[in-house]
Amino acid sequence: MILNETPVRTSKNFNINNIELTDFNIPTNIPKFNNVTISDNISITENTTNFKLKYGLGDILENQVKSSSNKKIKINIEKNIAEPILIDFNFNKDNLSLIEDIEICASENKKANIIIKYRYKEDIEYYHNGIIRLNTKPNSNINISIINLLNEQSYNFLSIENILEENSKINYCNVDFGGKNSITNYYSNLKGNNSNNQINCIYLGKQNQFFDLNFIGELYGEKSNIDIEVQGALKDNAKKHFKGTIDFKKGSKKSKGNENEFCMLMSDTSKSIALPMLLCGEEDVEGNHSSAAGKVDNKQLFYIMSRGFNYKEAMKLIVKARFNNILENLRDEKLKNEIIYEIDKRLD
Amino acid sequence: MSKTNIEEINRNIYDIKNKDEYDYKIKKGLTKEIIEEISKQKNDPIWMKEFRLKALDVYNSLEMPTWGPDLSELNMDDIATYVRPKTGLSNSWEDVPEDIKNTFDKLGIPEAEKKSLAGVGAQYDSEVVYHSMKEELIKQGVIYTDMETAVRKYPDLVKEHFMKCVPVNDHKFVALHGAVWSGGSFVYVPKGIKVDIPLQSYFRLNSPESGQFEHTLIIVDEGASLHFIEGCSAPKYNKVNLHAGCVELYVKDNAYLRYSTIENWSKNMLNLNTKKAIVGNNAKMEWVSGSFGSKISMLYPMSILNGENAKTEFTGISFAGKGQNLDNGFKVIHNNINTSSIVNAKSISKNGGTCTYRSLVRVNETAKNSKCSVSCESLMLDDISKSDTIPTSDIRTDEVEFSHEAKIGKISDKTIFYLMSRGISEEDAKAMIVRGFAYPISKELPVEYAVEMNNLINLELEGSIG
Repeated sequence: MILNETPVRTSKNFNINNIELTDFNIPTNIPKFNNVTISDNISITENTTNFKLKYGLGDILENQVKSSSNKKIKINIEKNIAEPILIDFNFNKDNLSLIEDIEICASENKKANIIIKYRYKEDIEYYHNGIIRLNTKPNSNINISIINLLNEQSYNFLSIENILEENSKINYCNVDFGGKNSITNYYSNLKGNNSNNQINCIYLGKQNQFFDLNFIGELYGEKSNIDIEVQGALKDNAKKHFKGTIDFKKGSKKSKGNENEFCMLMSDTSKSIALPMLLCGEEDVEGNHSSAAGKVDNKQLFYIMSRGFNYKEAMKLIVKARFNNILENLRDEKLKNEIIYEIDKRLD
Repeated sequence: MSKTNIEEINRNIYDIKNKDEYDYKIKKGLTKEIIEEISKQKNDPIWMKEFRLKALDVYNSLEMPTWGPDLSELNMDDIATYVRPKTGLSNSWEDVPEDIKNTFDKLGIPEAEKKSLAGVGAQYDSEVVYHSMKEELIKQGVIYTDMETAVRKYPDLVKEHFMKCVPVNDHKFVALHGAVWSGGSFVYVPKGIKVDIPLQSYFRLNSPESGQFEHTLIIVDEGASLHFIEGCSAPKYNKVNLHAGCVELYVKDNAYLRYSTIENWSKNMLNLNTKKAIVGNNAKMEWVSGSFGSKISMLYPMSILNGENAKTEFTGISFAGKGQNLDNGFKVIHNNINTSSIVNAKSISKNGGTCTYRSLVRVNETAKNSKCSVSCESLMLDDISKSDTIPTSDIRTDEVEFSHEAKIGKISDKTIFYLMSRGISEEDAKAMIVRGFAYPISKELPVEYAVEMNNLINLELEGSIG
């Protein structure tokens, strides 16, 4: 199954244009997913609308969501909501597979903070294939956090598509820890003038986990802005692909785009492939990207260990310090602590 | 600030067309019979004929690239792959026919030879017409000759290295090259010999609807050093010309090689060239590249750092104007411990031109304690041009320091304002900024070539900014 193609291809020999999953069949005949908790500060329906994703992970997974989703959630943000809207999917032996279709529409001038969590109970293989669509009307402002805390045996597929209208803003925070294979496609269409998309992502891989992250931002509106910040750590045989595309379309005058990716390699068998692309069809823009990879600085490690921490504790501290800038964006102390606990657990 | 119209530049000396006169031109197309005929015309040894036919099979088995610029206008049935000029190889400019000599005169090659080069090779269409090197280098055992002579005179050396660094199944146009190659230069620098003054080969394609497929093979033996300069140009025709050359460089242990290129093909040329270097223990490979011509260019020089402490540097600039799509970049593979690479790439797009920087950095498991730093900058001079950066990094060990940074933008209004406040006109201020942008590359070239590059930048900028 070919998945998660980049918007622009590069040489086939670089092994980054897409991924191919072999020995994997998508499950069929999936019962309803019942173990989900949704906070009561918003009313939801199941009346999601039809769609065709511009990118997404691929037709097979998209069609599965269209035809067989076992959880549909439609949210209309029609008033400012101070408390976070929490959607908490908890996988267990009775809820092994989730195929969800989430559609969120933020009305003009409205603000909300949405947290979507994926957790598990028994340590068995789960399957998740989700599509989240978010449309922000003029002057709306949405914080959305996607927290993937699945185990290392599961399959996690997620496609996100955002349409940002004039003066609207999306702060997106992605915590990607779970999945034997965790494949994410994120696309933002910044069509409105002054639209703004902040993307912060952390991933943490161990054992044989594989992450394929494909972030695509297309800037059409004038003075639009996108920032992609990705921090990750890989131990054991974990591997990640980071694909980031900032595409300044003609007419996106005075727009800015930045992408920054850093991968901390914690073993000599972990692997990091990155393709941070800048595509530019407009003169009057500023685009920057940087990417880096390497192991933990020995001096830093030595300094922390000289203060009485053992090697493992020192490594955990360094990883948490790296991730902290991104976790600060969560604006929810309880959730932040939960993630820090997960980092400690997964680095043990 | 107002903008002036961007005019198509007059490429003056580079566009001089000679009459399409030749001694032999093979019929257009690419068949087994054509390859056999090229082999016959070139009086190949049997091993080379067999090599060509095998390469043709590989060519037919490989698909066209599924990425990069659109190559659909390339039809091999419209291309003559071998054109022998109406002269043989000589080592005196006096023996070169007048019109061909005039062309090289206007390109400044004989003059540069006198002033600043230790040796010169000049290729016209498919064959080398002039080759010469200073006597003292010959005495030191340096070999600098055309590739055909090398195949005959140094068969073992050639067999050991020919298309081993760039195997024919690398990609479709390497296979094409393997089947139809003709001309090019062979250099061997013996152990410990330092060639202080550069050697230069210049490749000129005059014949319309034809291709140039020269093969450059350079071996810099242990502890030796060399600076090699490659220049290329062609007059513009209405139909497509093709360049699919191949450059193989062997930089042995403790050796040093700098390979500089000023590429100024005509703007009907598809430049699908392949360049690769294998770098040994403590050796250093430097690439300096200026890419100005071609309608489409797909050129990604590559260093394979096989030796401990091997180093490479790439410094390159691409300048794309109207109708040009220059998809250039660099590839480096780190295979051994303590290897290092530094990449500094720049591009300028104007008048609807497209520049793409495409690259690969791969640090393998065996390359512990390696370092790699990549920087690329793109400048857009108007809002009808395009500039893309598509860099891939593939890091397979933790004992590495890798960083990549890139930026895209236009000329800063503040800088223009500052220069104008010092009495400099807007046009001069912009030209000054562009030259400053290109300076890190031009400073790496010998002064004569830096001047040529600055002239090319001036030519490209004339009437184009404001």
